[in-house]
Amino acid sequence: MISRLSEKLRSLRTMGLSMAGAAALATVMFLPTQSAAEEEVVILGIWPITGPYADMGPLLNRGVEIALEEVGYKVAGKKIKYITRDSETKAGTAARRAQGAIDSEGVKFIIGPWSSGVALAVTEVAKKNKVMYYFSGGTEDITGKRCHKYAFMWAANAWTAMDANLKIFKKFNPNAKSIYLFVVDYAFGWTLQKYVEKLAPKYGLKIAGVDRHPLGHREYSSFITKAMATKPDAVYMINFGLDAISAVRQLYNFGFTPKKPVILSWSAGVEELVQMDPAMRANLQFGTNYYYTVDTPGNKSFVDAYKKKSGGIPPGYAPGAGYGLMKMTLLGMQKANSTDPKKVIQALEGLKGKNFVGDFAINGRNHQTVRPYFVARTKPEDKMANKYDFATIQDISSTEQPRDLNQCQDIGGF
Amino acid sequence: MSFLILSQILNGFATGMLYALVGVGLTLVLGVLNLPNFAHGTLFAFGAYFTYTVANLTDSFYLGVLIGPLLVVLIGFVIESQGVRRLYAAHHDYQLLFLFAVALILQETVILIWGPVGFSLLPPKFLAGAVDLGFTVYPKYRLALILFTATIVVALYLMLTRTNVGAILRAGIENREMVKVLGIDINKVFLFTFGLGAYLAGLAGGLATPIWGLTPTMGFDILPISFVIVVVAGLGSILGAIAAGILIGLAQSLTTIWWPEAANVVIYLIMGLTIILRPQGLFGSR
Repeated sequence: MISRLSEKLRSLRTMGLSMAGAAALATVMFLPTQSAAEEEVVILGIWPITGPYADMGPLLNRGVEIALEEVGYKVAGKKIKYITRDSETKAGTAARRAQGAIDSEGVKFIIGPWSSGVALAVTEVAKKNKVMYYFSGGTEDITGKRCHKYAFMWAANAWTAMDANLKIFKKFNPNAKSIYLFVVDYAFGWTLQKYVEKLAPKYGLKIAGVDRHPLGHREYSSFITKAMATKPDAVYMINFGLDAISAVRQLYNFGFTPKKPVILSWSAGVEELVQMDPAMRANLQFGTNYYYTVDTPGNKSFVDAYKKKSGGIPPGYAPGAGYGLMKMTLLGMQKANSTDPKKVIQALEGLKGKNFVGDFAINGRNHQTVRPYFVARTKPEDKMANKYDFATIQDISSTEQPRDLNQCQDIGGF
Repeated sequence: MSFLILSQILNGFATGMLYALVGVGLTLVLGVLNLPNFAHGTLFAFGAYFTYTVANLTDSFYLGVLIGPLLVVLIGFVIESQGVRRLYAAHHDYQLLFLFAVALILQETVILIWGPVGFSLLPPKFLAGAVDLGFTVYPKYRLALILFTATIVVALYLMLTRTNVGAILRAGIENREMVKVLGIDINKVFLFTFGLGAYLAGLAGGLATPIWGLTPTMGFDILPISFVIVVVAGLGSILGAIAAGILIGLAQSLTTIWWPEAANVVIYLIMGLTIILRPQGLFGSR
C-alpha cells in the first residue's frame, strides 16, 4: 500500500516537473515569436495556383511582389511578412485556408483571390475575423449587398465597365442594332449580363440572344451556330481567360470575325491577347481594368519592373491587379501610419489620389474604388510596333455606378 | 429550328469524333492492360504541343499532325516499359498512384518547356475559313476533321477486326492469360497497345489544336470525358468507345439548343444513367 502511494507521489512529482519544464520551454519559445509578431504585419495573398485560373495565380503574385519590393517589405515602421495560399478557385478551400492562415500566422490583411465566387466566401472570413480584405474585382456584391466595413474592391464597378464597353462599341459601329451574349454561368457573369441588358437600349442595341455556358467550357461551336442564326452585329462576351480565348478562336474558325466585331467585356488584356493568333484578334474590342500602355508615371515604373521579371512580356490585368491591391493596402497603412486594420480602413475611406492607373477615389459608403476602366481595340498585325503592341486604348471611363443601383444599404461598423 | 438542330448535329459529330479518338485509346489500354491510364489526358496535351512545335518549325500543319503524335508514342513506350511494366503484379492502387504522378509530372513538363501561357494554332490555309452549307455556315476545318477522324476510326476498326494484330489485342482484352499460354510475348502486346493508345491520344490532341488551342491544363480537361466514354461504351469495347464518343458529342451539342448551362452536366448524366440502367456499358459484356 505504502509502496503504491509513494510510487503515485513519485509519478505526480515527475508529471509536475515535466509540466513546469514544458511551460518554461513554451515561454522561452513563445517570447521571441510574440515580439517578432509585434514588429511585423502579416499579409495574406490568396491566389489560384491550381484549378481553372491556375495560369493567373503566379502572375497576380508577381505584381504583388513588385509592390512589396518598392517599399523594401517595410511599412509604417514594421516588416511585412507576405504569405500566400492556393484558393484552387474553390470557395470552401479558399475560406478554410484563409481562416487557417489567420489562426496560425496572425494574418491581419488579405488580398485576392481572382474569382467572384471565391471572393464571396473570403469576404465572410474577413468580416468574422475583423481582418481587412481587398478584392481584386468582379462581383458587385462585395461592395453591394454583401458589403461590410472590412472589405474593399479594387476593380471598376460592373456597371461602369459595361457602360464603357457599349459606348465604344456604338461609337465605332454606329449602324449596329443587336448583340448576342455569351455569359459564363456564375455570379459575376449574371451581374454583368444584368447591366448589359439594362444599358443596351441606351445605345440603341437589342439583345439578339443570350447563352450561358459553364465555367471552364472549351467547345463553343454549338453556341456560335445558335448566335450566327440570329445574325447579330457583334458577339458580346461575358466570360474570362481560357473560356474567352476558346470562344474567340472558334468565332474566327466559323468566319464570324473579322467580318463582325467581338467584344471581350471584362478582359485580362495581355494574358488573353498573347494566346491568340493575330488573325483571331482582328476586330476585337476589349474592356479591362488594366492595360500596360496607360500613360502615368507610376505605370511606367511598374511596367519596367514587371518586364524585368517576365522576360520582356508586359503586364496584363492579373499582375496589374496584384500590384494594385498591394499598393492600395500599403497606401492605407502609410496614411494611417499604422498596421491596425481599423485605422487602415478609416484612412482609406474617402481617400482620393493618383496611382498607376490614374485618378482614384474610395467611396466611403460602400468601399468601391472609383477608378478608370479602359476600353481598347486591337491593332491589325501590320500596324503593331512590336509583338506586344496589341491594341490602342479608345476610352477611359470612371463613371461611378448610379447610387440607386448599388445595393450596399449600410456598410456597418467595426 | 430544324436548321439549328442540323447545325448542332454537325457540331456534335465534329466534337464527338475527337472524343471517340481519345476514348478508343483509353479503352484499348484499359481493356488489354487492365490499367486506367490517368496519363492519357496529358498524352493528348503532348500531342497538341508536339504538333504545334513541329508545325511552327516546318511551317506545315500536316507535318505537325504526322510527326507530333508519333513523338507521343515514344513517351508512351517509356511510360510502359520503364514504369507500368514493373507494376503489373502490384496492387491496383500503386498503378493508379503511379499513373496519376506521371500525369502531373507530364503537365508540369509542358509548363517547363512551353510555359504557363497557352497558344493558338490556325488551321492550314486550304482548310481555313468557313463554307456555306445552305442551312449554316460551317468551318472547313471541322468538316475535314469529321471526314479524317471517321477514316481513322474505320481504319482502326478494320485493323482490330480484320488483322492478326487486332485479333491478338481483342484476345488480350477477353483473356490475357490465354494469350500468354498461346506463346505470344505479352510484354510486346502491352507495349504496342500502350503505344497505340498514346498515338490516338496524341493524334486527337494534334487535330484539336486549331479548335481548342493549347494550354498546359488541356490534358486534365479531356481526361474526365475520356473516362465517361469508357464507362458509357463498356470496358474494352472499341465499337462502344466510338459510339459513346459520338453520343457524348451529340448530346453536348444538342443540349445547348434548349439548356446551354447544362452542356457539361449532360455528359455525366449520361454516365450516371448508363451505370444505373446498363452497368456493363452500352456495348460491354463485363
